[in-house]
Amino acid sequence: MSKGDFSALASSIQAVASPFRQYLNDLHERYQGALDGAVADYIPELALADPNWFGICVVTSGGQVFEVGDCDKLFTIQSISKAFVYGLALEDHGRDYVNSKVSVEPTGEAFNAIVLDEATNRPYNPMVNAGAIATADLIKGDSATERLKRMLAMFRRYTGRDLDVNVPVFLSEKATGFRNRAIAYLMLNFGMVTDRVDETLDLYFQQCSIMVNAKDLAMMAATLANGGINPVTGERALDEHYVQDVISVMLTCGMYDYSGEWVYRVGLPAKSGVGGGITALAPGKLGIGTFSPPLDAKGNSYRGIKVCEDLSRDFGLHLFNVAKASHDLDDWLTGSGADSW
Amino acid sequence: MPAVFDGHTVPMPKVVSIHSYRGGTGKSNFTANLATTLAMQGHRVGVVDTDVPSPGIHNIFSLEPERAPVTLNSYLWGEAAIEEAAYDVGGAAGIAEAGRLFLVPSSVKADDIARVLKDGYDVKLLNDGFRKLVKALELDYLFIDTHPGLSKETFLSIAISHVLILILRPDKQDYQGTAVTIDIARQLNVRKMLLAINKAYSSLNFDVLKQKVEETYGTPVAGVFPLSEEVVQLASEGVFCTKFPDHLVSQEFSKVAAHITAEG
Repeated sequence: MSKGDFSALASSIQAVASPFRQYLNDLHERYQGALDGAVADYIPELALADPNWFGICVVTSGGQVFEVGDCDKLFTIQSISKAFVYGLALEDHGRDYVNSKVSVEPTGEAFNAIVLDEATNRPYNPMVNAGAIATADLIKGDSATERLKRMLAMFRRYTGRDLDVNVPVFLSEKATGFRNRAIAYLMLNFGMVTDRVDETLDLYFQQCSIMVNAKDLAMMAATLANGGINPVTGERALDEHYVQDVISVMLTCGMYDYSGEWVYRVGLPAKSGVGGGITALAPGKLGIGTFSPPLDAKGNSYRGIKVCEDLSRDFGLHLFNVAKASHDLDDWLTGSGADSW
Repeated sequence: MPAVFDGHTVPMPKVVSIHSYRGGTGKSNFTANLATTLAMQGHRVGVVDTDVPSPGIHNIFSLEPERAPVTLNSYLWGEAAIEEAAYDVGGAAGIAEAGRLFLVPSSVKADDIARVLKDGYDVKLLNDGFRKLVKALELDYLFIDTHPGLSKETFLSIAISHVLILILRPDKQDYQGTAVTIDIARQLNVRKMLLAINKAYSSLNFDVLKQKVEETYGTPVAGVFPLSEEVVQLASEGVFCTKFPDHLVSQEFSKVAAHITAEG
C-alpha cells in the first residue's frame, strides 16, 4: 500500500467517521418528512419524480466527500446548468464581450419573464431564461454537435464523470418551449443573438436536460469553491479569473426571484433547478449539492433551502458572517474538537 | 467522566475499540472481561462483534447461536434494526442486574459469513449502526471487538474510537505489526491509545516489560497479563473476572478499566 493509497483510504474512512457526516445524517432525518411544495409538472418527465427522494452531499475544497440519502439518483440539471455554461462563455469570449451580450443585474422577475434591458436590449442576467439562451448562443463550435460536446466536456471536468443528455426530457422541453422560442426570437430581433436560433435553442434545451445527481452538484460547487479545480480529480474546470464572475451572478441571481431573501438568510452563491437540485458553495471551504423534487412557490427545492439554511447558520458559512458559529467547520470535519456521540 | 449511578445522568458515551494486528492474542477474551468489569461497576455496556469473518466472543458470554437469530449481519443487510440484534448477556457474565451488558453477535452460519466476504458491506452502515445502538440502549460504553489485521472496518473503528486498545504478545511478529497499527492510528488522529500485553511468560519481569514496551512505542501500557495455564483452565467457560474477582488477572482488568473511565 503506497502512501497515496493509504491517504485516500484514511480520508474516506475519516469522512465516514467524521462528526460532520453525522450532522448531515441528522439534517437528513430532520427534513425527510418535510414534504411541503410540489414537484414540477410542466413536462410529464418531471412529474414522475418521487417527492420522497432526498439527498444531501457535501464536498470539501480538500476533496472529502460526504453523502447522505439519495445522492446517486439522477435527475435533470435544468437551470443549474446556466451558471456553468456562463463560465464557458466567459472562457470563449472574455468578460467584456460576454457583458455586452448579457447583463448581470438581478431582475426580481420570474425566471421565464420576457423582458430585456430597455437601454441596451441585453437580457438582465445569465440565470434567467433570456440570459441563459443568449449565453448558450455564445458557446463556440463549428456545429451543434461540437457545441454540445464542448458543454459536456466542461461538465465532465466539474463532476469528474461523463454526463448524458436525457433525450425524452430534451424532446419534451423542445416540444413545449414556445415561451423560450419567443424570447430567443425577440433577442434575434434586437441583434443580441446570432441567427442560428434553432440550433442554440436545441443546445439550451439539451444543457437543461443533462442528468446529474446530488454528488455531481456538490462536486461542481466544490470545484468553484476550490478556485475552478475539481478537488478530487485535480483537473481544472474553469479559468480561475472567471470563478468570481460565475459565483457573483450565482449569489445575486441564482435562486430566481428568491435571490434577495436567499442572500439575506443563507448568504451563499447558489443555483437551483426545477428538477429539484440546488448547488451552493462556501468559497474556499466546500460545495453543497442537494436533491429533493418538491419545489416552493418560487421554484426552488423546499428541502434544499432548509438544508442550506441550517448548514449556513450552524457552521457560520454566510459570506458576510463575522460572528463565531456554534459549530467550527474544521473541528467537525476532522472530529478533533467535536464529539457527536 | 461518565456517571456510575442508577440515576443515569450520563454525559457522553465512550467508544472503545479492541484490536490486535495478529490473531490469537486473546482479544475476544480480553474484550469480554474488560466490558464485564465496567458493567460490574454499574455502567451500561454494549459489545459489538465486528469480527464478521471469524466471530467468537459470543462463546465467552455463552450466547448460543440458536438463541440469537438476529445478528450484526441481519442489520448490515437491512433485515433488522441493530438494537434487535443486541442480547442482554449480563446474566451469563455473572452480573445479577439486567440491562447492564449487551452483545451484538456476528453470525456463525457459513452462508452468512460467505455472503459478507463475497459482497462486503458499506462501512457507513456500521458507523451508523454503532451510533444507533448507543442511543437505543443508552450505553455508557460501546466496545468494538475487531477482526485481527488491518481492514476498512479496523480503520473505521480506530477513527471513531475514544479509546483504542491494542493487544500484543511479547514476540517479534506482534511488535512489528503493532508498530504499523500505531502509525496508522496516529495518522487517523486517534484520541487515546493504550497497549495491553497478553500472554506474557511468568518468568518475565512485568514491570521491566511494561517499561520497555512503553518506551518503544511512546504509548502507555494499561495492563500486563500472564500466560498461565491456570487462567486458561479457569477461563474456559464464562467470564473470568466475575468468577474470580480477587484473582490478580481480574485486578489487572480493573486497572485497564480505570484508564478507560479516566477523564480525557
